[in-house]
Amino acid sequence: MAADSPSSVRKVVVHLRATGDAPILKQAKFKIPGTDKFAKVIDFLCRQLHRETLFVYVNSAFSPNPDELVIDLYNNFGFDGKLVVNYACSMAWG
Amino acid sequence: MCKMQESASTMVEGYLSLENIILRSIEEEHDELSCPQKEETSCSEKEELIDIATLVQSNCSKVPYYDLHIIYSASYRVPVLFFRAYYGDGEPLGFNEIEKDLPAHSAKALLDSKWMFITQEEHPYLNRPWFKLHPCGTSEWMKLLFHVDVSVAKNGVTVELYLLSWLSVVGQVVGLRIPLEMLNQQ
Repeated sequence: MAADSPSSVRKVVVHLRATGDAPILKQAKFKIPGTDKFAKVIDFLCRQLHRETLFVYVNSAFSPNPDELVIDLYNNFGFDGKLVVNYACSMAWG
Repeated sequence: MCKMQESASTMVEGYLSLENIILRSIEEEHDELSCPQKEETSCSEKEELIDIATLVQSNCSKVPYYDLHIIYSASYRVPVLFFRAYYGDGEPLGFNEIEKDLPAHSAKALLDSKWMFITQEEHPYLNRPWFKLHPCGTSEWMKLLFHVDVSVAKNGVTVELYLLSWLSVVGQVVGLRIPLEMLNQQ
């Protein structure tokens, strides 16, 4: 699909970081269109790790709403040219 | 998106409250439903439950309003979200109806993961049955959130920052979205 403007094809580099006892991905960095919702990152993670749910959060100590656009998250919380997304599995007691 | 009809943010008897808010908007997931444009544009996915014959009338008074209270739990030593929902005519939503009204993706994920779950219990100040997000997992996932934040490790965290981080998670269950700019105040 042809892009109307540069911003519509702008991709964001996302770096997925395992925390706690969560499994580490073989490939942890990938690019995603900035116009995609954060839900896509969450879904991708869940599929890759074969899990129904994950606790997903960014470095500034908050968990993004799945409806947030990746580009907005990058603009606010990205650094070094990427958005770091941390993920954890269920808590020990769960 | 959150539409504020009348909102009151007050500290009364030691809790934070946000009341009379509409948490669903017409732009949300189930936007294949059409709601004729009136001054109120917040028709929620509740409409899915109304049968076709009445959908034409598009009864927007069936939009649930929420009251949200943040109350500190002395026993768990964390904030707890208490909430209740009711229609414009005051009729309260039961647990099943609320469950259906919660944002499908994020609420289901958080509740299924057992990071938290919804219980019904007596409001500690108002002495009426409210729903709450059980706090037993809160300190665990709050630790995770702050674990990666280097500045927190050094300087600790203010109450405001703690609550914002907490609310970013808890808000996803009810569909309350924190503006990113608010969270970006380092």
